[in-house]
Amino acid sequence: MSKVECKLNVNGLTKKIYIFEDKPLIFALRNDFGLTGTKLGCGLEQCGSCAVIIDGEKKLSCNLPAIDCQNKEIVTIEGLGTDTSLNSVQEAFKKFNAAQCGYCTSGIIITVSSLLEKKNKPTSEDILNALDGHLCRCGSHSVVLKAIESLIEN
Amino acid sequence: MSNFDSGPSIKSYNKFQDWFDFSKTGSIRVYSGKVDIGQHISSTLALIASKIVNINYDQVEIIRLDTDFTPNEGITASSLSVANSGSAIKAASITLKTNFINYALNHLNINNEDIQFENGVIKDKNSNKSISYWDYAETDDYKNTIIPEQFDEEVLKKITYANNQKIELKNIKEIVTGKYKYVHDINFPNMLHARIVRPHSYNCELVKINEDFKKRLIENNINLFVKGSFIAILSPDEFLAVKFSELAKNQIVWNENRKLSNDNVFNSLNTNEKESLIVKPGGEAFNEKIPEIQSFDQENIVTLSSEFRKNYLMHGPIGPSASCSIYSNNKFTVYSHSQSNFALKQSLSSYFNIDTSKVTIKFMPGSGCYGHNGADDVAFEASVLSKAYPDFHILLKWTREDEHCWEPYGSASINKLFGAINDNGQIVYWSNEAFSDTYLSRPSNEELYNFTSFKFLNNDFTKIRSKPKTSAHMGIHRNLDPLYNFSKTRLVKNLVHDLPLRTSALRTLGAFANITSSESFLNDLAFAKNIDPFKIRKNHLDDERAIEVLENLENTMKKSHAKPNNYRGIGFSRYKNSAAYCAVGVELNISDDLDIKLINAWITVDAGEIAYEDGIKAQAEGGFIQAASWSLYEEVLFDTKEIISKDWDSYKIIGFDNIPIFTTNVIDRKGSPYLGVGEVVAGPTGGAISNALRDALGQRIKTMPFTKENITSDLLN
Repeated sequence: MSKVECKLNVNGLTKKIYIFEDKPLIFALRNDFGLTGTKLGCGLEQCGSCAVIIDGEKKLSCNLPAIDCQNKEIVTIEGLGTDTSLNSVQEAFKKFNAAQCGYCTSGIIITVSSLLEKKNKPTSEDILNALDGHLCRCGSHSVVLKAIESLIEN
Repeated sequence: MSNFDSGPSIKSYNKFQDWFDFSKTGSIRVYSGKVDIGQHISSTLALIASKIVNINYDQVEIIRLDTDFTPNEGITASSLSVANSGSAIKAASITLKTNFINYALNHLNINNEDIQFENGVIKDKNSNKSISYWDYAETDDYKNTIIPEQFDEEVLKKITYANNQKIELKNIKEIVTGKYKYVHDINFPNMLHARIVRPHSYNCELVKINEDFKKRLIENNINLFVKGSFIAILSPDEFLAVKFSELAKNQIVWNENRKLSNDNVFNSLNTNEKESLIVKPGGEAFNEKIPEIQSFDQENIVTLSSEFRKNYLMHGPIGPSASCSIYSNNKFTVYSHSQSNFALKQSLSSYFNIDTSKVTIKFMPGSGCYGHNGADDVAFEASVLSKAYPDFHILLKWTREDEHCWEPYGSASINKLFGAINDNGQIVYWSNEAFSDTYLSRPSNEELYNFTSFKFLNNDFTKIRSKPKTSAHMGIHRNLDPLYNFSKTRLVKNLVHDLPLRTSALRTLGAFANITSSESFLNDLAFAKNIDPFKIRKNHLDDERAIEVLENLENTMKKSHAKPNNYRGIGFSRYKNSAAYCAVGVELNISDDLDIKLINAWITVDAGEIAYEDGIKAQAEGGFIQAASWSLYEEVLFDTKEIISKDWDSYKIIGFDNIPIFTTNVIDRKGSPYLGVGEVVAGPTGGAISNALRDALGQRIKTMPFTKENITSDLLN
C-alpha cells in the first residue's frame, strides 16, 4: 500500500497531503487538516453529521474519497464564518441555543447554509427536504427548526 | 416560601472549597459532579450560582468533572442533575453570599444601606473602601465555613433573585463554529487510534486469526492486540485502523458458544423463568406471595384487561462511543463521556488491581443519547489497550455497527393490565404486571462482567443472571405504581431471565412502558363508561400540583380544535411519583397507508423552581421527540444468529419531517426544590400518542412501535 499526493482546497487554503487513495475526505479533514468540526456518525451516509460544502453543493464526506475532491472548493463548519463574524445560520443557532449535545449540529448548519446560498426564501418543504437524512438523537429538532425559520422570516 | 434542603451532595461536600475556586480574579469557577450530556447542565448551574451570588453569568465557569478534584455526586442520571448538583450549588451560593455580606459589613465597618454590590464586589458608598469575593476567599471565615444541610425561611427571605433569565448557553458558540471538542477529537502527539474487531454476536470465542493477515498487519506497521477473545487493531493513522479492522472481520475464526436465544422476545417474556415481586404503594418491591387477580360479578362494574408490548430500544447516539486512555508511570488517565465516571474509576482500579488514586477519569463530551450506552464499555476497552502500550495515548472509537449491536438496550417488555370501574366512574381495582429484563446493569467494581468486553478478555461466557432491584421505582417497576388514587391496586414486577439481548439503563428505565400502558388502559376504562380523559384523571388525583398541570394542559388544548381527520390524546405522570409532574397532549393524523404524522404537541411541566426555563423546555421537547421516535419507529431487530439493526436503515428513528408544533408551558414553583425534567415527558408522550391513535382507529393498538406492520397485525387480531 502506498500513499499518493492529494492537493485539497479547504476553507480557502490549499494544502498538499499524502494519503491512501481510498481515504475518505472526512479523515483527511479531521486528521490531516486538523478540522474536527466535521463529525463522523455512521460512515454510511445515513446520518448527515459529516456534511461539508463542495463547490457550493452539500456533500457527505464519510464515504467520499479525498482524492476525488481535488481542484474543488471545500468548506467545512470552521470555514463558514470567522471568530468575530459568524455566518447567518451559525448566528441564528447561537441566538436560539439550537443544540443539545451538538454532535449533529455542524452537519445541519452546513446543510442549511448551503440551502440558503441557493435559495433566499426556501419553503418549509425545501427545508425539510434539505434536512432529510440529518439525524439528531437528543431531540433538538424543534429549536433547530425555530432557528431556521427565524432566518427565513428575516 | 418554605425551608430549603441542600440535597445529598452537601452531606459529603460541605465546604466552599468543594464547590468554588476563586483563584482567577474576576471569575468564579464552580465544581460539579454532574456532566454535560446535552442537557446543558453547565449553563443551568452557572445561572443558579450567578443569580444567587449576584455576579454576571459570564463570570461563572463550571469546571468539568475530573475524579481527582470535583465532588462525587454519583451518576448523571435519573433526572437528578439539577435536583442534586443544582441544589448543592444553590446551597453553597446562598451561604457564600450571606457570609460574604456579613463579612463585608464587619470588615468595612458599614451598614447594609451603605452597600453597593456589583459583579462580586461590595463597596462602601461613602468611601472608596471595597471588598470582593476574591478577597473573601482568602479569609479563614471562607475556609472554615460549613454549608448547612437546610435553610430556614429567615435566611431564604434575604436572598432575592429573578429565576427566568435568558442566557446564551455555555459552549454554544464553540458548537456552532465546530470548535467544541468531543472525546472523538482528542489529538495527542504520541497517539494510537484503535478499533475493536468483534464477532457476529455476544458469545463467541476466538479460534484463530489468519497467519497471512497477521503478516500483512506487520508489513503495514499495524498493531494487533489479542487477549482471550478480545481483539483490537491499532495504528497512528486512524484511517488504517479503520481499514484493517474492517479487513480483519473475514480473517478470524470464531467458535459460537451460545446462539441468541429466540427471535421472538414476546414469547420469551411470557414463558422464560422469572422472579416476581409485589410492588406496594410507594413503589418499593417485595419478595412476597403474589395475590390472584380479583374477580368482579357486580352488574354496575365493568372490567377490562389488556396487554401492551414494547420491543427493545437502543440509545443510538449519532456519534458512536469513544474514549482516550494513557497508562504512564503506573497510572491511568482516561478521557470519557460516561455518565458514571466515579464508578468507572472504581471499576478500573478493581480490574487492574491498583489503588483508586492511580486512576483519573476526566469527562469530555460525547454524542448525546441519555442513558447507559457504550461510553463505559469503550473507556474500559481503551484502558485495557493503554495498559498494553504504556506512554501512548490510545484513542478508541466504536463504529456505527459496534454502537448499534453492542450497546446495552432498553429492555423489551410486556405490561398485562386488568381494571374495574364502577358506575360512578371510580376505578375500584387496578392490576398492572410488568415483564422485562433488567434496566440496571451499569458496570461497577463488583460487576465488572457488565463491561461488554470483560467476558471476551477472560474467555468466560458463563451466563450471569441479574438480581431484581427492590428500591422504590427502580428499573422495571419505575412508575408501575400510578399516582392515581385507585381503590385497590395489584402491581407486580417480573424480572424475566435468559432473554436474548444485553440491556441496561435507557432514559426513564421501565417508566416509559409502565406509563404508556397505564395511561392507555386508563383511557380504555374511561371510554367504557364514557368519561372524559381529563376528568377521569383529575377524579383520581388529590395532589394539587398534579391537577394544576392537567388543567393547564386542558386549557391550553382547548384554545384550538382538532382539524378534520386529526385526532388527539393525552397522557400524564409524575416521574417516580416524587419528581417532576408532566401532562402531554398530542394531535396526530394517520394516512390510509397507516403513516402517523404528528401535528401538535402540548406539554405542561412542573419541575419545581425554575432553574432555567429554556433549558427545561429544551429537555421537555427533546424528551417528547425521543419518546415519539420510540413510539412510532423504533425496535431492535435480531434473529438467532445476530442483531439485524446494524445501522440507521435497519433501525429507523424520527426525522425532521415528523416534528409537531410545540406549545410548552412550565409552571414555576419558586422556593420549591428542583425536580429535574430529563425523563418526565417520555411516559406521558407514549400514552398521549397511544390514546390519539386509539381515537383515530377506534381500536387500541397494543404493540409498539406503531408501524404499519404492528398496526395491521393488531387490527386483524
